Amino acid sequence: MVLLVTSDNEQFVVEKEVAERSVLIKNMLEDVGESDQPIPLPNVSSSVLKKVLEYCEHHRGEPLPTTDPTDNEDTRKRTTDISEWDQKFITVDQEMLFEIILAANYLDIKPLLDVGCKTVANMIKGKTPEEIRKLFNIVNDFTPEEEAQIKKENEWAEDR
Amino acid sequence: MDKFTTLEPVKLYQSVTSSKRTSTFPSAKPAAPFSLIGRLPVDVHILILTYVAIPDIPAYALTSRALGRLSKDERVWEARWKAFGIDRPHFNAILDELESQAKTQAGARRGQAPPTLAVENADDDFGDFTDVSAPTDEMGDFVSGFGSVSIQSPSIPSWQPKQTEYRARYIRAHNLLKPFARALSAPPHAILSSIFPPPAPSLSTQSHTLRLLSIFFSYRVKPLRAWTTLASSLRAAMDLFAEGLLTAFDASDGKGDEKSMLEVAQASWDVWDPAEGHWELARAWADKHEVFYDSQSKWDPLENFTKDEELDFDAMDTFITAILAILQEQGSRAVRVFPPDAHVLLSFAERMANEVVGEYISSLLTRAREISNAIYLRAVAASFRESWRIVDVVMQVASQRADAVLPKTRAEDVVYRMFEPNMDEYLDEELESLKQSFDTITKGWDKNVGLLQHSNSPTATHEQARFIGSHNPAQVKRNVLASFTDVLLLPVTIVPRTTMAVGKAFGAALTTGGTAAAQGIAMLNPQRWGGSSMQWGGGNQNDKSRNGYVDFEKSQNGAMVFDIGDDEDEEEEKRNEKASFDKFEEEKPQKRASVASIATTTTLGSSHSVTPSISSSSTRISTPVPPAASASFDTFEMLLSLDTALELIHADRDSLKRTDTFSGYPGQYGHRVRDTIEEIFVLVLQALGDRHIKPGFERATQQMRAYKPAEHEETNSVAPLLQFFELVHIGDTMQSMIQVYFDKEIASHIDKNDFLNTVVREKKRFEDVLDDSVAAGLNMGTETLMNQVEHIITKLTKPREYYPPEGVPLELGPTQGCTEAIKCLKMHCQLLKGSTSKEVLEVFYQEIGIRLIAILQKHIKRQIISLNGGFQVIADLNAYHAFITSLKVASITSEFAYLKMLGHVYVVEDAKDLAQIVRDVTRYGGAYRPEDIYEFIQRRSDWKKIEKTVDKTMYNLSFKEDCIIS
Repeated sequence: MVLLVTSDNEQFVVEKEVAERSVLIKNMLEDVGESDQPIPLPNVSSSVLKKVLEYCEHHRGEPLPTTDPTDNEDTRKRTTDISEWDQKFITVDQEMLFEIILAANYLDIKPLLDVGCKTVANMIKGKTPEEIRKLFNIVNDFTPEEEAQIKKENEWAEDR
Repeated sequence: MDKFTTLEPVKLYQSVTSSKRTSTFPSAKPAAPFSLIGRLPVDVHILILTYVAIPDIPAYALTSRALGRLSKDERVWEARWKAFGIDRPHFNAILDELESQAKTQAGARRGQAPPTLAVENADDDFGDFTDVSAPTDEMGDFVSGFGSVSIQSPSIPSWQPKQTEYRARYIRAHNLLKPFARALSAPPHAILSSIFPPPAPSLSTQSHTLRLLSIFFSYRVKPLRAWTTLASSLRAAMDLFAEGLLTAFDASDGKGDEKSMLEVAQASWDVWDPAEGHWELARAWADKHEVFYDSQSKWDPLENFTKDEELDFDAMDTFITAILAILQEQGSRAVRVFPPDAHVLLSFAERMANEVVGEYISSLLTRAREISNAIYLRAVAASFRESWRIVDVVMQVASQRADAVLPKTRAEDVVYRMFEPNMDEYLDEELESLKQSFDTITKGWDKNVGLLQHSNSPTATHEQARFIGSHNPAQVKRNVLASFTDVLLLPVTIVPRTTMAVGKAFGAALTTGGTAAAQGIAMLNPQRWGGSSMQWGGGNQNDKSRNGYVDFEKSQNGAMVFDIGDDEDEEEEKRNEKASFDKFEEEKPQKRASVASIATTTTLGSSHSVTPSISSSSTRISTPVPPAASASFDTFEMLLSLDTALELIHADRDSLKRTDTFSGYPGQYGHRVRDTIEEIFVLVLQALGDRHIKPGFERATQQMRAYKPAEHEETNSVAPLLQFFELVHIGDTMQSMIQVYFDKEIASHIDKNDFLNTVVREKKRFEDVLDDSVAAGLNMGTETLMNQVEHIITKLTKPREYYPPEGVPLELGPTQGCTEAIKCLKMHCQLLKGSTSKEVLEVFYQEIGIRLIAILQKHIKRQIISLNGGFQVIADLNAYHAFITSLKVASITSEFAYLKMLGHVYVVEDAKDLAQIVRDVTRYGGAYRPEDIYEFIQRRSDWKKIEKTVDKTMYNLSFKEDCIIS
């Protein structure tokens, strides 16, 4: 069993197999060895960790993705659509979606990060730059010239 | 450039002048991966960008400078390019071709009619392409600076040095493939013709192009908003195309035109998407073979059973041969026609195996199961062996095409996979039935023993090989083992067949091997040795053992004869034996029981020296045992049986050989097979050790304990002990047999040096069980033997043996009790030779010696000994000493030397001299204290007379004088 402590000081006792879906925790456990010391996760809040652990619990026992993505078969599988369970799992409000992505990125849970990013990619579909800025909370820092330049550079990709 | 961008302060972007720079260096270094753009870190943005649909990228790029830069990041495009996965030579060739087409078309149009240029959609795309690719190349600055020029000269040459840039590569492919979108929106039946306008390119180009398009319009790339609809219409077009190929292939197949078949098959293979399951063309081709439909009616699996429900695999052999012929013919065609990557041969063979052979086998096994387990087991191994021939044919066929490398394991997998469904049941059943058969064998044996013990009749005695009966137990043992080894080396019949197919070395060797094995096993049965003993003839040594056995057989009728032959004298004796061989029949063993004497040279240590002249040239002692005495112990040797051991090993070996057929199995079943092999050996060890040897020895020990010397007339042989020795010999042989069996059959399957291995551990345990049994038995045996010796001595010693009446002439030789006791001991000691290790033997001898001393001391103290009788004592002690010396155990030899010296106290006349001797501790090497000797001299007949003098001399006092109080 592994003891995890979130940013808001909530403690989670998780089975090792589940916790090790996170490469970060896995490496940590390998480095530190077996100990009863709690693992602090200062970047993750309890509500998000709960959600993330739900994902890990469901996917426990599955082979971890290889670090070397050159394997063609692997990439092919990875890029197929989101599975039904994952789809349902990731149907959350925007705020939570980004929180999950950040947590997955921090905890190094590649499949979850992929699911999150694919969802975001789907959300972006057909959106205008202004809508995307709002989504990501980005300030437009282009000059008109730059904007024209970028537009031209990406003209090939326009679907007309 | 690097230096510039990395050090570039953020503020610089705000200046107007920097705007051009950012666009100039699109592949500028990205920000640190963990810095945030908006609410997400950079690497998450990169990940999102790799999943975003292409048409969404412009909007994404337009959100901010940082993201604009990221949208051109090579990491994004490398991932996208890899997901695209078209980096293969034939796809590149197609792209090149499309490019040159586009170029010529564009050039032609431009030359013809400039006004149409604006209308043509394709031209628009093409214009885009030239425009857009410009900034991506190295000289982006230059090109954008000469924007007007680039329109006129398409930038085809400029992207070429930039192969490494994934974005540029992707854009190129994107622009080349995008125009097909228009063709795909045509009505379904017209799609193909609009993709490939006449004149249609070659089949292989068509198939490659279609495949390329199907990759392009897919989830992996998402090039256009409408990619889903485009993909489905493309799918329809491809199906149409594939269907056309199928028809064409069928037509060529009908004509036998392998060349066009090859071409069509290749095209069909190229257009096929591996994600979509089976390759239709090969499946359709295979479907045409009627063998898949009529095999059940053509070959009847039940023909493998004869009327009396035995197995005869001729039918299966014919079946497999027919199947192989088809496989050979069609397989070679498959190899010639289909692309090697498609592995059509394998899938064809697999289908053949599963649908035809598998079905056949499963109904065969179902029937076998109904008949009996034994038949089932044999049928499994046999059918597997038969199916194995598929592998060879597949390999042979595959080797026809040089560029198709087919690893043998894949061909083997076909058969392995086909057979897998049967394995679980088979392996379980194998162990189960082995356990059962062991059970029957040991139970049958136990019952036998029980019966014999109850009936208690000597006639029921089985004729057993008797190692003790032979001159040279070790030699006999060697012979048994040699023939045992021979049998082990014989092959086992896996495929049962009555007739031999001509030219089929496969079946023939097995069949002949089978009968030979049967004979060999029969020869191993010791009961038949007597009858067929001539077969053993040949060498001098064999004669020896033969004589031994014949000898034994004859003696079975009336009495048992134990020959204790000196090896040196054997040659001489054998001549006699051979001469009298013919008359052996009539010769009663009792006749040969010539009185044996032991050559002894007795020297008295004192001044009186007598040289006995009793010696005998004969060293052979034949001791008859009257049947009455041995009757109740006849069953004793029946407690263990080589026969049973052989039966066990034989059953085990059958099992092992069957399982061995599967030993090549890979993966999980391989482990199970190997486990089963180990288990099989462990089972035989347990059956033999725990259920045969151990109870046998225990019963023997019990019987020895029950043996009361007084109840038996016989004086010099302890029947149970003899038979126990026989048991030791048999046990030893069994162990050797197991060892041979282990070396020949099991050792190859396991690591012998792995002491943790179950097999090695079990074998050790088996040997321990045997050793323990022998030790326990020996312990009990020694006790019984010594009881017997004591019994002999007390019984045969006459009251006045050592106190002969005056005037009777002295006959100086050991007394009868002494000779008999020695005879008894000597015989038993001899018997054990060769069956146990030297160490055990030494311990045994030592034990005998120590106990014998105790017995003798006790015995002497019971006697009254006169001066004349003293010489008798000395003669006896000398005889014992000579016997002990012959055992060659140093420690007890010296003990007996001291005992011999002790005899002298009975022949010394003068009391003072006697006292001197008693006090002389050094004489007895410390073995006896004066007090001990004092006890011995009290047994003198004249003790009353000399007591005072002795006491006085010894202790310088006289009781009479010193005890009177004056």
